[in-house]
Amino acid sequence: MMQPITAKELEYLVDSMSNEDLLMKQCAVTAATASNEALRQQCLQLQHMHQQHYDALLHALQQHQQMAPTQPQQ
Amino acid sequence: MYQHNQTMMPQEDMAYTVLSDLKRVTREYATAATESSCPSIRSLFTNLLNSTLKMQGDLYQTMQQANMYSTASPALRQEIDKQLKQNQQTKQKTEQFLQQTTQTGGQFVQHVMPQQTHQAPTQPQQNPYYM
Repeated sequence: MMQPITAKELEYLVDSMSNEDLLMKQCAVTAATASNEALRQQCLQLQHMHQQHYDALLHALQQHQQMAPTQPQQ
Repeated sequence: MYQHNQTMMPQEDMAYTVLSDLKRVTREYATAATESSCPSIRSLFTNLLNSTLKMQGDLYQTMQQANMYSTASPALRQEIDKQLKQNQQTKQKTEQFLQQTTQTGGQFVQHVMPQQTHQAPTQPQQNPYYM
């Protein structure tokens, strides 16, 4: 079920995308510099997951774009 | 990619930074889910919460196996004994209270409501009104 998102939900979506963006970069740097092979593999996998999370958040925002009112509601 | 000679953060510090961010993001997803109004957004945050929680657990396991994370010392037997005893008493008192409340239909609740066994907080008490 879909309904227009609240201003609060928008804030959470945007904050979450910022978190996921930072984490995928951190994972990439850790994977690129780690000498421990297990850690390197783990970080690459995490990086991939964070990309998926980011895409899911972005997709949700796009889905709600059309429903959003253009005038402030009473 | 990282061929320049500047000092790099040790890999365990890098991993620890990612781990703490995963812990923080887990909390944020839990908050976001509980404060969502749109069911599809709540469901999205719930899925991301579960996924992030699993990722944090996986990274922790990897770090522990690579000896990058020292686990906390185990709780002492006598401390567990003490906590068990106290909480079994609390459970008993609460059961009595629940029974009485059911029987009296909630009348005189204030008189019979049992007090929990008070324990010193494990962390310094914070002002509950301070956000």
